[in-house]
Amino acid sequence: MSRTATYHTTVRWTGEHWGHLAMGNGPEMRFAPPPDAQGYENVFTPEDAFVAAANTCVMLMFIWAAKRFKLNLLGYECRTEGTKLIELDRTEIFTRLQFRPVIRVAAGDEPPAVVEARVRRALASAQKYSLVANSVKSEIVVEPEIVVEVN
Amino acid sequence: MAEYLETTVDKFIFRVARDRLYNADGIWAVWVESQGDGLVRVGLTDYVQQHSGDVAFAHIKPLGTKLALAEEFAEIETIKATVSFHAPVAGEIVAINSDLDLSPEIINQDPYEKGWLALIRATNWKADRARLLDPQGYFSLMRSQAEEELKKL
Repeated sequence: MSRTATYHTTVRWTGEHWGHLAMGNGPEMRFAPPPDAQGYENVFTPEDAFVAAANTCVMLMFIWAAKRFKLNLLGYECRTEGTKLIELDRTEIFTRLQFRPVIRVAAGDEPPAVVEARVRRALASAQKYSLVANSVKSEIVVEPEIVVEVN
Repeated sequence: MAEYLETTVDKFIFRVARDRLYNADGIWAVWVESQGDGLVRVGLTDYVQQHSGDVAFAHIKPLGTKLALAEEFAEIETIKATVSFHAPVAGEIVAINSDLDLSPEIINQDPYEKGWLALIRATNWKADRARLLDPQGYFSLMRSQAEEELKKL
């Protein structure tokens, strides 16, 4: 049984600073650099794609973890910020990815503190098992806001 | 404090405590002299906890449960799988690690000490221990199990 998988995307230059992206899973879109790198507003950028890849992957892993940790998940929203550093040699790197998830869960019959501790463990596991988060060399910081709703 | 045999497979380091015995499932058993007659503490090996993934819940059969040798006595739910484990000795469960209720992650953090699962009053320790692997025997088995897993990648 093979336990590897491959994913692909294809890019094509369409003139000036524009390109066309075809994702292996179907969607296609234009892309360009962001405004701070001689690009444009309101267009898909590699920088956003990088941050989005980590953000979406951690969220999906958290949804899985929430199920395994038997959490009654009511809501999840996460703004993730990637910090770019321009180094002395003008190379650039994302040094840090800061996740700020707002997670709402129902306490059910359990003490809220117990549920909150389980949310934190599920979140730590989501980060650990996220393919993308596990693949980047940026520092990853997660600062969750956890709301345990008691009925 | 236990001493360990240690090996690296791929990028993972696995430890086997030298002061106890093992079944092929990766359950360790250690005779606890200080806690009365016939008491055997059991838990998961480092290899099994790493291979199973982050533990979400640990379910041990209730206190007083009488176990036959190799009878299922624990189920561990991890982020990736639900895994059942079999008693390395016959006997009665006389204590369960209560820390596992709120902090089952101690199985991952400290599998040979704080992450123990249960205390079993062994009914036939002499015979059962003869079926278990010594640290070197389990170390070799574990290494081959890990290498087999690696080949599947």
